[in-house]
Amino acid sequence: MNGTPWWRDRRVLPWLLQAAVGLAVLVLVALLMTNLVRNLSAAGLLLSWRWLGQPAGFDLSETLLPFDASMPYGRALLAGLLNTLRVIVIALLGSSLLGALVGMAAFSRNGLLRGLARVYVEVVRNVPLLLQLLFWYFLVFLALPDGRAALQLPGLVLAKSGLYLAGFAGGSWQGPQLLNGSWQAPLQLSVEFGALLTGLITYIGAFIAEVVRGGIASVPRGQWEAAGSLGLHGVATLRHIVVPQALRVIVPGLTNQYISLAKASSLALACGFTDLYSVAETTLNQTGRAVEVVLVLLAAYLAIDLLISAAMNGLNRLVQVRER
Amino acid sequence: MIRAEGVEKWYPNGFHALRGASLTVNRGEVVVIMGPSGSGKSTFIRTFNALEDFQKGSITVDGLALSNDVRQIDAIRREVGMVFQQFNLFPHLSVLENLTLAPVLVRKRPRAEVEQQAMALLERVGIAEQAEKFPGQLSGGQQQRVAIARALCMEPRILLFDEPTSSLDPEMVREVLDVIQALAAEAITMVVVTHEVRFARQVAHRVVLMDEGVVVEQAAPEAFFTAPRHERTQRFLEQIL
Amino acid sequence: MGTPSFAAKRLPVAALLPLKRLRAQLAPTVADGLLSLGLLALIAWAAVQLFGWAIGRADWAVLQLNSMLLLVGRYPLAEQWRLWLLGGLLAAQAGLSWGLLRAWPRADRREQGQLWPRHDRIAVVVIILLALLLPAGLRLAGPLQGRWGLLAAVLLALRWAAGRWAADHWGGRLHRRGLKLLGLLWPLLYLLGFWLIGGGLGLAAVAPGDWGGLLLTVVMASFAMALSFPLGVLLALGRRSSLPVLRWGSVAYIEFIRGAPLITLLFIGQNILGFLLPAGMSPDRVWRAAWVLTLFAAAYLAEAVRSGLAAVPRGQLEAARSLGLNQAQALVTVVIPQALRVALPTMVGQFIALVQDTTLLSLIGLLDLLGMARGIMANPEFLGHSSELYLVLAVLYWSCCAALGLGSRALERRLDPRNLAGSP
Repeated sequence: MNGTPWWRDRRVLPWLLQAAVGLAVLVLVALLMTNLVRNLSAAGLLLSWRWLGQPAGFDLSETLLPFDASMPYGRALLAGLLNTLRVIVIALLGSSLLGALVGMAAFSRNGLLRGLARVYVEVVRNVPLLLQLLFWYFLVFLALPDGRAALQLPGLVLAKSGLYLAGFAGGSWQGPQLLNGSWQAPLQLSVEFGALLTGLITYIGAFIAEVVRGGIASVPRGQWEAAGSLGLHGVATLRHIVVPQALRVIVPGLTNQYISLAKASSLALACGFTDLYSVAETTLNQTGRAVEVVLVLLAAYLAIDLLISAAMNGLNRLVQVRER
Repeated sequence: MIRAEGVEKWYPNGFHALRGASLTVNRGEVVVIMGPSGSGKSTFIRTFNALEDFQKGSITVDGLALSNDVRQIDAIRREVGMVFQQFNLFPHLSVLENLTLAPVLVRKRPRAEVEQQAMALLERVGIAEQAEKFPGQLSGGQQQRVAIARALCMEPRILLFDEPTSSLDPEMVREVLDVIQALAAEAITMVVVTHEVRFARQVAHRVVLMDEGVVVEQAAPEAFFTAPRHERTQRFLEQIL
Repeated sequence: MGTPSFAAKRLPVAALLPLKRLRAQLAPTVADGLLSLGLLALIAWAAVQLFGWAIGRADWAVLQLNSMLLLVGRYPLAEQWRLWLLGGLLAAQAGLSWGLLRAWPRADRREQGQLWPRHDRIAVVVIILLALLLPAGLRLAGPLQGRWGLLAAVLLALRWAAGRWAADHWGGRLHRRGLKLLGLLWPLLYLLGFWLIGGGLGLAAVAPGDWGGLLLTVVMASFAMALSFPLGVLLALGRRSSLPVLRWGSVAYIEFIRGAPLITLLFIGQNILGFLLPAGMSPDRVWRAAWVLTLFAAAYLAEAVRSGLAAVPRGQLEAARSLGLNQAQALVTVVIPQALRVALPTMVGQFIALVQDTTLLSLIGLLDLLGMARGIMANPEFLGHSSELYLVLAVLYWSCCAALGLGSRALERRLDPRNLAGSP
């Protein structure tokens, strides 16, 4: 075991390789960082968070917390983050529902329904999301009529000025009403928000439909037949036999889709919705604080991803354990 | 050819697989290693070509001491061929390419010459007509014969067989053992881990019993099967015979 | 949603009369029948609306007037012959590859005894129709129409000749060498392409800022695909390595990139990369975006390759090592080819996503296909005609992505070991 030169010793070589790679990365990072510090100090933009407290000077069209132009950048970014979260939560629910329905439609007895589900998935998945968002915003929602001509559905009015939903107001159920030529309703959404939601839900819904379809298809055919031979039918088989088994396959796939939904929500500025990213971009344009703004963005999206992962991992454990 | 002395191995999980195993294999000798599962026999022969490392003891193969010197390990691997339980043919290469890959890459021999040799070897193991097929299109027995030819194509001085027939359907065991037997007749040094008693009796020069990480008994086949000296060997033979 | 379609498929449907068959598909029960009727009405209504719009209100002049902008952006008119030349070379190379690959000996094909199966002939018809009808339908200028026709003719002629020749003259060995040649020609053409597009070395330089439209989209997507591939393989190997520094380094990189939305990474590329490099060394805006796309795609590709690596049994590496191959040889000749075959569908999925992701370039002010289209829509002259543009863009992206998906499925079948038979 002795007398092996160190450069041919297989106990040493792995460490040499690692040291070389590690050193190369460190040197690169050090170089970039030195440049960053030098260039930033030359531009007078060394890392500082004081600008967060300065008045933003721009307005946000719709926010969950009160905001106006005199309030600081920090609050603007917070308002943007809340808008992002609002989009993610609603789109997550909507796309799950749509995806589950379309995914199950792939197993329908009705050939037409199966075909339609297939066409929907194939069309939506192969067209860029950004294009779809622009389509929903400019060609659908901004083309809606307004006032008396607005599209009126039970409990929902779609108009160019916004979306009006029925809801509880002052303890009673109220639908949208036309007052002096403009619509009033307990729940109002902007067309920007509506277009973003519609686009995200239909896009991610198609991917979730594929996840659901794959999950159901992963349940062996013998399970359907066994359930049928026990006298269970259609919905009952699905509910008691197939879905619990399919969920084991579906939940990990869903996690990926939810995370990609969270990231996709950053395209909100395509339809003029002020989410975190679009506030950040405006902030950058006004302050020039590129590094700080990017750090905020990365931290926020990382936190959202981790939150989704953690929640879905919990759900996954629940689904997997129940089988044993 | 192979001299292993007091080899001890711990797996990273702390399992003490080899506890001072020693074995000497002479040139041209066929040694069969038997033993209950988990006795360390596979691990033992895998240390001979450094597929497994070991912590204590020493192994010398063909005059080269196994150390941590990568150049020496490469040299030993070139001289030691191995046939696996799961065949481990490369599924993305044709049968012929399976044979020629290593001689061309490692020994830097001209492709045409290697292909000629490979065809001769395939002829010898009786599957020359399948040379252009892919492993997935062959039966288990055929695959294992290709694996033997692949090992031979490197012209090794020692061949190691790690349970070569254990994952074969019963009707294919014979064809593979026949090939190994024919090789034994050509005085190639071989170490074979197997459960095939009939094969051991007919082919082996020496049969070795391993149990709990040590070599318990070694003897000529007749003596091993008819008059085992150790109590552990007797128990093992009772179970398999 | 009722019983699954298995139930319907188990009926001897084929034996039934067409009408009954239709009924079994559309109206197995009364409720299903009503549902089908409703859906049919909806589809018919949508079709009538779309058709009425397409031949009535739609005004395709917006496309005729801007066809070159959409195709190549502000690429100088005097230098556009280079792009047509490149198009011709690409068509020739594609035809050559198509023909040679078709003639590749395959057990199933040989049994059928035909070089061009049905879907190949369908593809040819589609190409001819696209090359003739589309430019004519858009009423492009005469020379333009002629060039499109010429490209298609080159493609089809070479495909026919190569396939014929290879089928008649080639056996196993020669064929494999020919395929190796193809593997060499594509990277060569790739480099040649960048030279023709960008200029330099005797050609007039065309700044990346002048590339636009479909050209920019294709350049960006192919650049990122080609470079992210080796990077992704390295990252995947790193992530599966037993060496902690390599493993944790790869994990950190992959998870960082996958955790951030692409738009924020492009944002970094545009606003921070300049600070990270020495003054004056920062590349052009277009190249900055191209590198960000590459580094972005590499992380996703690494995950695809990793799943492929996990599917290769440990015994494969051991067998290669026991034959005397060193670690690098074993990885390159044994492990990686098998891993890539397993990872192929996922990898193509990532490439499709990458093509779609190039649209985000329009958000950082680059004039890719979508950016160019938005620029045209903003022009008051074409106000109210965005539907036509959106439709054409959607069809274009859809066909690119769907074609990639189809190609991947064909390649998957082809690389399946069961179809890889040599000469009988």
